[in-house]
Amino acid sequence: MTQGKKLLMIDDDPDFVEGIKAILDAAGYIVDVTYNPKDGLKALQEKTYDLLLLDIMMGRGAEGIMIARKLRKDAKLREMPVLIITGIREQMAFLFPGESIHPRFVAVDELVEKPVEPKLLLEKVSTLISMAEARKAEAG
Amino acid sequence: MENQPKILIIDDEEVVLDSCTLILEGGNYSVTTASDGTQGLNLVREIQPDLVFVDLKMPGIQGIEVLEHITEQDPTIVSIVITGYATVTSAVEAMKKGAYDFLPKPFTPDEFRIITKRGLERRKLMLETIALRKEKEMLRENFAAIVSHELKSPLGAIQQNLFALTAELSQTLSESQNAKFERMKVRIDDLLKLINSWLRVYSVDISKIKDNFTTISATSIISKSIESIEPHAVRKDITIVPTIEDNLNTFEGDEGSLVEAVVNILGNAVKYSHTNSQIKVNAREIDNNIEISISDSGVGIQPEDLPYMLSDFFRGKKDQTSEDSHGMGLTISKRIVEAHNGTISVASTPSKGTTFTIRIPCIN
Repeated sequence: MTQGKKLLMIDDDPDFVEGIKAILDAAGYIVDVTYNPKDGLKALQEKTYDLLLLDIMMGRGAEGIMIARKLRKDAKLREMPVLIITGIREQMAFLFPGESIHPRFVAVDELVEKPVEPKLLLEKVSTLISMAEARKAEAG
Repeated sequence: MENQPKILIIDDEEVVLDSCTLILEGGNYSVTTASDGTQGLNLVREIQPDLVFVDLKMPGIQGIEVLEHITEQDPTIVSIVITGYATVTSAVEAMKKGAYDFLPKPFTPDEFRIITKRGLERRKLMLETIALRKEKEMLRENFAAIVSHELKSPLGAIQQNLFALTAELSQTLSESQNAKFERMKVRIDDLLKLINSWLRVYSVDISKIKDNFTTISATSIISKSIESIEPHAVRKDITIVPTIEDNLNTFEGDEGSLVEAVVNILGNAVKYSHTNSQIKVNAREIDNNIEISISDSGVGIQPEDLPYMLSDFFRGKKDQTSEDSHGMGLTISKRIVEAHNGTISVASTPSKGTTFTIRIPCIN
């Protein structure tokens, strides 16, 4: 199931990324990594991914939110599942007033808090990918 | 103050303006002059000087009035009064209107230079004080964000790598090696929890709570709170017994945050209760206030600790060995209740039990 699935991770903390990537690598995923929103968006345009792992607080603020917004407006990328991995809890949403990061913000989004237990991470990743695939199959 | 301090001289005598400009020449100042009060005030707005010399006796707007306007516009601009009619009365009056110093005519070039230096020194100190105050405010405001990113991120990265490492090594680790990893994870997890509870305290935004006010009932708050804490209570064989007065008035408040406030107190009650005991939750109306009280028959609070129970970040002596307490729960509860214009109080007898009482006014 997981073999060969391609994931992209956008997160500005290389040490944290290593900790996530090791878990996903071991489970057979192919993980690409970018360390800033700009490279992340470029990678999304150039390659096809089954899932995006997205950090929120990058650069000058909640730039992850901007990426999520852009994806939802992009005809090609709209359906890609996004798993938000963030150090911010929901209650910290006051950091960017008006910017909802609630997991229900977009129906397929999920939010986990850093650090994330391997079991939970793998569960979320595989669920999101299979949900996206089911949707695709349904849409024919 | 940028590189060149800006000095404005307002005087109706051209000879004074010229000589003052001449004295300051070569002193790395930017000097501007005005020959009456109106022009002077326009220039104050335009160039925003660091230091202004004002002649008290001028045709048109008087010096005193000019002073008043300057102070009104920007109290950090330093004004020094110059006049040929130096009297104690006029000096005192000028000082009252915000002048920093007083220079009687005629004055020597050295006197003028020295008072200029002192005036600019004063301005620098004022600006520094303001900058420091602002910095302090910003630090406070951004505390949550700073803590979040600067402390949580590295801890999160460490923990994530520990997770990955133990998963990788799960087949090869001996029992004692595994125990070492577990110890590390637990301690880091404690730290992350501690930071999160700090963040919670700082994110209790009173104005936000007030935005969420709707008509709510004590009954609903109590039942939701009990529901949330019951799993912990069951483990210690503790029963929570609610007694709610009939026909309680509804009141204006934010249910979510009040449930959190009650849950924090109930959680403490469970923690400090003996197994197989009872916790009583009562709600009644008294003097147009809704009163919710939570009583346990647990270990109680030492009299010397009691006055500090509701202070920020306080932990009782007995509590200091407990890993999962950061003394933040009650602080959060207190802030939430206060956002409802309510009060929270505590009474306790050691070895007998503790009662917390929340009172919130019903506005109806």
